[in-house]
Amino acid sequence: MNQSSFNPQSRWDRFEPDKGGFNPDALDERIDVLAHFKHSRIFPKSFTWKDKEYTIETITYNWQERLGQALVNYFSVVSSGQIYQISFNNSTFRWQIDKIIQ
Amino acid sequence: MIIHIDMDAFFASIEQVINPRLKGRPLIVGSRAHKMRTVVCAASYEAKALGIYSGMPSKDAFSICPNLEFVVADQAKYIWTSEKIFELLKGWGFALNYASVDEFQMDILEHPEPLKLVAQIQEQIYANFNITASVGIAKNWLLAKLASKINKPNGVTLINEANFKDILSATPLTKACGMAGKTGQILLAQGLKTCWDLYLNLPGFFAENPGKFEDIPEKSKSIGHSYTLPRAQTNPRFISAWIRVLSEMVGERLRQKNLVAKTIQLWLNIPEKGDFLAQKTFAIAANDSYEIYLRTLKIMTGMAQKRPKIRALGVTASHLSPQEYLPLLIEEKRREALVKAIDKINCRFGDNSIFPAQVILTRK
Repeated sequence: MNQSSFNPQSRWDRFEPDKGGFNPDALDERIDVLAHFKHSRIFPKSFTWKDKEYTIETITYNWQERLGQALVNYFSVVSSGQIYQISFNNSTFRWQIDKIIQ
Repeated sequence: MIIHIDMDAFFASIEQVINPRLKGRPLIVGSRAHKMRTVVCAASYEAKALGIYSGMPSKDAFSICPNLEFVVADQAKYIWTSEKIFELLKGWGFALNYASVDEFQMDILEHPEPLKLVAQIQEQIYANFNITASVGIAKNWLLAKLASKINKPNGVTLINEANFKDILSATPLTKACGMAGKTGQILLAQGLKTCWDLYLNLPGFFAENPGKFEDIPEKSKSIGHSYTLPRAQTNPRFISAWIRVLSEMVGERLRQKNLVAKTIQLWLNIPEKGDFLAQKTFAIAANDSYEIYLRTLKIMTGMAQKRPKIRALGVTASHLSPQEYLPLLIEEKRREALVKAIDKINCRFGDNSIFPAQVILTRK
């Protein structure tokens, strides 16, 4: 197997600021999440943000990113017709809401 | 036999999966948040149908379609998806190669039923990621890549001896790999219109070529990074800060590969004057980002124009060799220890956890 001809980790956005750069809508606020951890996978079921509980109806997509030694799991989830991006950092065990997807 | 798997409107398709509201709508993915001051990284098929294409200034795309949907690129999800597709494809057990973040090549040897195999691959990709891929099948990677572009999206094209002439005659020259730019324009001017014309004039172009599956590890000839600024800038401090950013990125990649570079090249795009491109070879090879930065500045001093209006810039290191030199002087040893410590911090806590203060200027 050969991956040497192209490195998917070569990134162009590493030096961009979060706000005003690549992620101007960043919320990055801590949330409480009820989730199932099953077969090495995470299934968030609901989250509480600003004292309001949001039931997750669908996970439209999930992906991961390695930030140093931490692995961050991202989820785009639907609650009451609105899509949110939430994430879990396995190093800090912190759940956060990243942004509201318009 | 080679199959070339080309993901259909990769970034845009992923965004449409994440946000089902965007499905069926013209959508562009931009490299920067300001939707009128960026470049189209990817366009959905609905946007492509309107004449919008990757590389187009977003302003032009919005002038074609004012109701265009816009999403800022988030590379983490594209890279993750690309790697997962690569893992999935590995499951078939054939030699596999990354052609780009959204293109994969597989050597299926003398597989008796290539079309059936391709159907399985397309089905599995869709089942796992909800996105589609177009596939080309041919005797070599160049033809397979060409074939993958013929029947998009979610299509399959097989080029064999029987249809070789028909397919090449019906395919515009500019669809062939490497013919989209200046070379293609030169050949078009010479009257070569289709890939068949190209074959008749340059039969070697489509000759047997197994692709990039050789076991010989590929050696990097150069390592470079470039960046297009949101708008043209003249402030020398700001320009220097961006050169520092790019030097940091180049230096980090050199150190990761344990390489040093003797030659540094600077590229500047000056809208009023065109491109400035200059390089200099130094006696001592380096991979320290700060040294690369200083060398790049030295090249920049050779410019005739003192405060050019710069829109894009790039730093490239070449003339690469393995790092063998051991620092002898105390200052050199201290510098090397510092660079190693910075690399270690960024490896532990993530890229860009620690960076030169000068870089702050690029973040305002």
